Amino acid sequence: MDLSTLGGQFLGTIPLGDIVLYLTTFNLFMFGAALVFTAIIAMSRTESQVEAEFGTLNEREKKVSKDEFKIRRFLSIVCGLATAGAMITGDLFNFTLFVCLIGIVNIGIVAAVKEVDVLDSAFQYGIIAMIATLPLFGGAASILATTGTISLLELVNIPTSAFMLFSSILLFIGVAGESGVAPFFATKAEMFRTAGSPFLVIIHLSSLLVIVRIIEILLIINKPFGI
Amino acid sequence: MTASVLVPTVVSPEVVSLYIPAIFTGLLVGLIGLLAISYQKNDLHALILTDIVSLGMLILVAAVGTDLAEALILPGLVVELAEILAISEILMSREMRKMDKTVELIPLPLSFNMEILDTAPTFLAIILIIYGAFLSGFTGGAIAGGGILFYVLSKMTRGVPSNTWEGVAGASAIAWCLWIVGFLIFFVAPSYWLLALFLAAFGIFIKVAFKVGLIGVIGREEFKKDKE
Repeated sequence: MDLSTLGGQFLGTIPLGDIVLYLTTFNLFMFGAALVFTAIIAMSRTESQVEAEFGTLNEREKKVSKDEFKIRRFLSIVCGLATAGAMITGDLFNFTLFVCLIGIVNIGIVAAVKEVDVLDSAFQYGIIAMIATLPLFGGAASILATTGTISLLELVNIPTSAFMLFSSILLFIGVAGESGVAPFFATKAEMFRTAGSPFLVIIHLSSLLVIVRIIEILLIINKPFGI
Repeated sequence: MTASVLVPTVVSPEVVSLYIPAIFTGLLVGLIGLLAISYQKNDLHALILTDIVSLGMLILVAAVGTDLAEALILPGLVVELAEILAISEILMSREMRKMDKTVELIPLPLSFNMEILDTAPTFLAIILIIYGAFLSGFTGGAIAGGGILFYVLSKMTRGVPSNTWEGVAGASAIAWCLWIVGFLIFFVAPSYWLLALFLAAFGIFIKVAFKVGLIGVIGREEFKKDKE
């Protein structure tokens, strides 16, 4: 499958020595979207949660303290930038590293909350994310072993072997675990149940964008409909 | 397996045939780790056992056995360490919230009382820093950092101004930027390789040497304790 079939127009490459970035309209749009969301989140303030108390007319307000707010904003900017990097990179191993960075930063964003339940689910998510590094890096490394390259620009010209299919499955399991999608979502869904909304949204957004991008990468590697 | 990649003839076929067993070893290590986690109900033990799974990841990357794989092991290791640090931090803060107590980052009482720590440190530190600057690069940074660490640790009994070390930690970060700029020049303008080399060498020298500043900042709690 051609790069331009997947990504709209092929706009050219940015050669930086060994690392060659390639630009398609799809990549650029995702990159720009991630950056715009990061900018919006960097400028926003946290909302404060108001909980109604049962049986009375009182309500409880949960606020995020100033120190926690600063750390969270910094980490969500890092998360947004890592997402943008994962969108634009043309190197399979850089992609896995960006995905791991997103996973670590996601843990960091909720690390300072006061709710024990949220910390508990963040811990479970962290365990899953750490286990997921095995298939993630393993898949990328075995693609390197079978094809001799991790540049997507080269991988698009290499015919698929059975081992590459196996590596891609490993890679997909890795990304699914690291970004906490479908089979592992139970741990991650609980992480949102705390105050400080716009910064928590980037956790969600990053995993959505990363999943779209890994599908593009898997199509580039496996070429299911012929070259 | 149909490996379409070109393997140089100098590599013996035994080494190439080791790849598939190495992959199976890595996956097996991962599975053993997962089995152990599934039996284990204690959170701390689960965290430690996850490290075994990450070791399987390192085996998988190392099995490739080329120069590139060697360069890829380092980020893999860093990611593994960063994740285990982050998760253990979560575990600690959860347990602190449960028990409603806080503890120091490094609960380590430092009370040396030796005469040599008053007289020698300045001289030794200067020699180590000059020698480190002469070496430059990572090794030089480690040596000069050893000098600074020795100075800080021995002056700690007398009390070092803590905000000095915060500034030093900032300088470390700026020097790291120099290192990154040096690498960028390697990629973007290879004709200026000498400038890039020196930027990278002295950037990493200053960064590694000043990294000790972080130890100074952490040790600040100890200074406070000493003054009281």
